[in-house]
Amino acid sequence: MMKRLYSAVVDGKGFDILLVGLPLLFLITFSGLPLLYNVLMSFQEVDIFSLGSLIRPFVGLDNYRALLAQPEFWPIMWNTVIFVVCSIFGQFTLGFALALFFDAGFRGASFLRGLFLVSWVMPGLVVGAIWNWILSGDFGVLNYILRATGLISENIFWRSDTDFSLWAVIIANIWLGTAFNMILLSVGLAGIPKDLYEASELDGANVWQRFLTITIPMMRSTIGAVISLGLIFTLQQFDLFAAITSGGPANSSNVAQYWAWELSFRQYDFAKGATISTIMIITVMIAALLYVRSTRHEVRG
Amino acid sequence: MTQQPQIELVSVNKHYGGFHALKDISVTIAKGSFVALVGPSGCGKSTLLRSLAGLESITTGEIRITGETVNETPPRHRDVAMVFQSYALYPHMTVRENMSYSLRLKRVPKTKIDAAVAEAAKILGLEDYLDRKPNALSGGQRQRVAMGRAIIRNPKVFLFDEPLSNLDASLRVHMRKEIRALHERVGATSVYVTHDQIEAMTMADHVVVLKGGSVEQQGTPLSLYDMPATKFVAGFIGSPAMNFVSGEITGDGGSVLLDLPGRPILPLARQATPGRKVEAGLRPEHLSLAPPGVPAIETRASSVESTGSVTYLYCGGDPEIIVLSQEREPLSSGEPVRLTIAPENIHLFDPQTGLSIGQAAG
Amino acid sequence: MTRRPTPLLLAAAVLLSAIYLFPLYWMYVTSLKSGSEVFAYPPTFLPESLDFHIFAEVWQTRDMASFLWNSLVIASGSMAMVAVLGTGCSYVLARYRNIWVDIALFLVLMLQVLPASLMITPIFVGFSALGLLEYPRFAVMIAFTAKAMPFFVILVRATFMSIPGELEEAALVDGNSRIGAFGLIVLPLARNGILVSAILIFMQAFGEFVYSKSMIQDVTLQPASVGLNGFMGPNTVEWNKIMAYATIYVTPILAAFVLLQQRIVSGLTSGALK
Repeated sequence: MMKRLYSAVVDGKGFDILLVGLPLLFLITFSGLPLLYNVLMSFQEVDIFSLGSLIRPFVGLDNYRALLAQPEFWPIMWNTVIFVVCSIFGQFTLGFALALFFDAGFRGASFLRGLFLVSWVMPGLVVGAIWNWILSGDFGVLNYILRATGLISENIFWRSDTDFSLWAVIIANIWLGTAFNMILLSVGLAGIPKDLYEASELDGANVWQRFLTITIPMMRSTIGAVISLGLIFTLQQFDLFAAITSGGPANSSNVAQYWAWELSFRQYDFAKGATISTIMIITVMIAALLYVRSTRHEVRG
Repeated sequence: MTQQPQIELVSVNKHYGGFHALKDISVTIAKGSFVALVGPSGCGKSTLLRSLAGLESITTGEIRITGETVNETPPRHRDVAMVFQSYALYPHMTVRENMSYSLRLKRVPKTKIDAAVAEAAKILGLEDYLDRKPNALSGGQRQRVAMGRAIIRNPKVFLFDEPLSNLDASLRVHMRKEIRALHERVGATSVYVTHDQIEAMTMADHVVVLKGGSVEQQGTPLSLYDMPATKFVAGFIGSPAMNFVSGEITGDGGSVLLDLPGRPILPLARQATPGRKVEAGLRPEHLSLAPPGVPAIETRASSVESTGSVTYLYCGGDPEIIVLSQEREPLSSGEPVRLTIAPENIHLFDPQTGLSIGQAAG
Repeated sequence: MTRRPTPLLLAAAVLLSAIYLFPLYWMYVTSLKSGSEVFAYPPTFLPESLDFHIFAEVWQTRDMASFLWNSLVIASGSMAMVAVLGTGCSYVLARYRNIWVDIALFLVLMLQVLPASLMITPIFVGFSALGLLEYPRFAVMIAFTAKAMPFFVILVRATFMSIPGELEEAALVDGNSRIGAFGLIVLPLARNGILVSAILIFMQAFGEFVYSKSMIQDVTLQPASVGLNGFMGPNTVEWNKIMAYATIYVTPILAAFVLLQQRIVSGLTSGALK
């Protein structure tokens, strides 16, 4: 028996099963189970005293009702939508423009393009700290530049003005994500055969027509993947909120993923934290499904 | 020849899910022989070879190497060497390390390894390249390294998986001879997979023709050429391919009436069932221009190609008949021609089953 | 196609890069300014005097040695766990193509997308019930490994897919066991891809914040990200010191990135879209 097991591992499929089984077990234990546990908690009463016990009183949909009844629920959800949509729009357009520019293929293009990625490898909290300082009201360099160029006449209090606090985080997040978008879109651009452009130029298409009839259709799956990835990364953004506005003032820059943490670790209301997490995780899963679908033929290729 | 066969395949079957890849294959391979597995792509020849190596498992049946059943034996305990189509040279090792890899795994003493590498390198003419990495070699040199990696082990069986298909035409002809010479020199048993019937015919002592996962026919190269058991083998072996014309045995059973314009009647070398529908197979090299008065196929040359040594005549249209002549035929396109063939060279096949109807024996 | 002259394009590219990297520049410049120069109006774009003394001061007063050590411990531990568990997983997922592999791959992709700030609630409650919070840095490593492994698997799988299966088969025929062929042939050939991906994981773990902030209460065990967060009160005025802290924190990562830039970019792009 032991001998058979040994030879299966050394020479047969047992080796593969072992290699893939351990990590999957790990993932299921530390990612999958928390996921289910989260859903379970959203139907339970959880407070600081019942934290240690696994069996807690069930309260049905009370947590969901209470959460929806909170006045800040819908504003925060709306903030989340604005944050996601504007961040993705900004990252994608800037990233695409830069990718097209660097696709011209001059000396040093790939080195400079690679440098952009520093924004992506820096710790999110450091990026947040830098932007916090740049966006400072009285002494921030952004206000100075905007005033010096005549774009604004009064300082904008990015972090403390409820009209601007969300935008402060969005600006920082666009900066953070543009490079990654650009790199992925560059790969897509590089994959378009150059003779397609030459053929369409011979057919009499101008630059703009070539962009619309060749670049965009050929990039469809890449664009789909980049936007879905953008959605996933944007919904994961937490550090910038912690470093720039802490969701304030008065929840004006709060979003679901930061609120969930605040409920659990600031107000110690783990049940509500789990509830909002459950709602958001379902949203993210749907985004992930879209991503998988958009890259499906690449996965299978 | 009471010697124990080197390899025996007994009713080997292989299923991939719902796909029946190998169907009841039985082949016996004598020690020291060179066997070619040949067939069109998807016929199962590579799967069969990989099953021999132990890289694939078979569903039912038995594989024996020197009498020992190896169905469950992992590749490393089968004592077989394999030359892959892509050569599969380890890119991070030098030629010397590639060739000595298997001996180093067996913990053979270093002096013995060095001697073995030196000898293999000498046989293959690789002495000057031993410290290069594979990506610094030409296609032909890589091929030699792959062979060196195999012969250095002195295994029970050599397996070749289309080893020449990545080489250009002239090198391929050269390597064909070299592999054959190497086989004679080391005297080991070789199993060689190819889709190229010329390779199979020129190199092997024993050819196994596979089609759709089963053995269509096996035998010596010339027996396959002279006595194809099926229409498939007849069409597969020989170049240019055999011409097929449908027809019918005449009332006296001694001739065949061909389904061609002019309804030609050709005499057969032996009796057949009168009135039977047949497919007649006529090899291009057996057809020739008929002298007057001989029963012949009356047709027209649609094009004439001469290579200098031989002439190809393309005659008629439906079906087209190709003639290979050793002469310089003074013909031009559109001219009428009369074709004849010796009665013993006419092959007959059943139109439904494709099986040979015992003609052209001898 | 009519090509614009390269020098002009290059100049434009350098300008764009300069604009994009301005925040980074601003961090370095601010860290070199004196307390009063920080609040000068108009702001100075070149520091008036170079005062490196501030780095030593911040290092001392903020106890950065401890914070950075903890970051290093968490990042190394996470990287090792991700690499050990993830490499075998990516290999199998690259080598086979069947319904089970598709399911596993889908599972891995799904788990990659879960935001850490949402997963921390159940992880914290679960870990506290299991007693794992007694070893908070280890708890962070486990949570982060579970979070980061899918990304690693996707990148390294692309590397393994580029290694021909015939090489491994040749090794099996040459006398290797599965383990031998994996260790002697496949792994050496995948080494670069694995290294680059592991470095990316290290960089991410070095900046990890949510899990550490939530699970590590003891300040002597907290990493640099949590330390930076604690440094930035709502009404802070010590921006030169905060930027000095940030400089000390990120400069090693940035240096490593610039050195390995080409490899990281190519590793990232070969895997991320697949």
